[in-house]
Amino acid sequence: MAKGNFLHKLYAAGPLLLLYYWSISENEANLEKVFEIFSFNLQLIIIYFWIIKRPSLMGAGHIFFVGLINDVIMSFPLGISSLSYLVVCFVGNYVRNKSVNTTIASDWFTFFIALILSNLLFFSLLSNFSDIAISYSKIGYNTFFTLFLFPVFWLLFNIYQMTFIGGQDA
Amino acid sequence: MSVSRDDFSIAFRSALLQRGASQKFSILSLIVIALIIFFLDVYGFTVVKSARSFINDVVYRVTYLVSAPTRMFPNLNSGITSHFNLKKENEELKQVIENYKRLELNLEFLTNENQSLKKVLNAENISNVANLVLSKVLVDRNSPFLKSILINKGSRAGIKKGMPVTQNEYLVGRIVETNYLSSRVLLLGDLNSRIPVTLGTDGAQAILAGSGSHHTRLEYLPEGYEIEEGVSVFASGKDGVFFPGTPIGQTNDEGGVKLFVDPNQLSFVTVVLINPTKDKL
Repeated sequence: MAKGNFLHKLYAAGPLLLLYYWSISENEANLEKVFEIFSFNLQLIIIYFWIIKRPSLMGAGHIFFVGLINDVIMSFPLGISSLSYLVVCFVGNYVRNKSVNTTIASDWFTFFIALILSNLLFFSLLSNFSDIAISYSKIGYNTFFTLFLFPVFWLLFNIYQMTFIGGQDA
Repeated sequence: MSVSRDDFSIAFRSALLQRGASQKFSILSLIVIALIIFFLDVYGFTVVKSARSFINDVVYRVTYLVSAPTRMFPNLNSGITSHFNLKKENEELKQVIENYKRLELNLEFLTNENQSLKKVLNAENISNVANLVLSKVLVDRNSPFLKSILINKGSRAGIKKGMPVTQNEYLVGRIVETNYLSSRVLLLGDLNSRIPVTLGTDGAQAILAGSGSHHTRLEYLPEGYEIEEGVSVFASGKDGVFFPGTPIGQTNDEGGVKLFVDPNQLSFVTVVLINPTKDKL
């Protein structure tokens, strides 16, 4: 019984662990070495999916902290990734409050809004308050591939949720 | 109409302010904190700078440790393949071979490390070792927006912002951020990188600019200058940061510069301890 409970807690912590691991490790979703324009932001997908489906597994404090870690690793001004993640979190919360039932299509569409708002804030702050020059085409490709791959991860996370966590959606 | 507006405001407020068992902080409060941290960092408050430097050192070390399994995976993979082959050949010696293999992996790692270090030391043609700091690359996380690496030496080893970084005498980039125990090197391919260079034997001056990928291009060439393939590009040293004549790369058929050092293959680099006369970043 205790073992089962521990395993359930471990599975429930999976999304958060993945978010931390992805932010802190050398692994990243930037496969420029393979395909020059290919990069996407997995953190945003993780945050949005789990905020919509199981908000109890994705605390806002953790999201804030992961953002700070990402800023340190990427050498961005502190707090900028946290803001961007929290915007996604806010849109996710809002959509969850307003919807009774969600589908992959509705989640995809609302993720598009979250992604646009989040990237708009992130890159406006970066271009106005920092000396870091960023290629706009790269931002475009990154946003496109993040949006494009959302359904793939939606399905994967959904399978994980049904297999290991169980229970009803939020 | 008013009901739908009420709905909107309730959902909006709830999304911003809601707290629960697992949500100890409201999103609004965290957004405010993030904004405060952001502006404190952007406007360079000393306290935030020191705190950031400390956090950088800790996070870089943790990142290095967390990434260790992924770095070891190729070694483990080849080890397992080799293991199965040996098992087929000789079951009796399996255990002995396994033990040797463990030692061998360790030895191979040490030998490679030793060879890399020797290569760097020989190639640098060191006249004054005190002016060079050999550093290991801690993290080369390939961000789509910033091309940089993290090295395991910082202000404690005398590294300062702006110092040039080389590998086998070839220019790799320059230091853009120093912490006590680590530093960040901006690679030549980064969009923010600009370096004054000299071309070939005719000494034409230009600026080598990063393009945000690992390619670089030449800007501000003399009027009418036609780039030929295979012309060597050196640092001109006009910025007072890089030594004149430090080799960088060769021009290619696309009018860009192919760097002598592959930025994806860096494991050890050398920081040249000079005092840059201009702080470019």
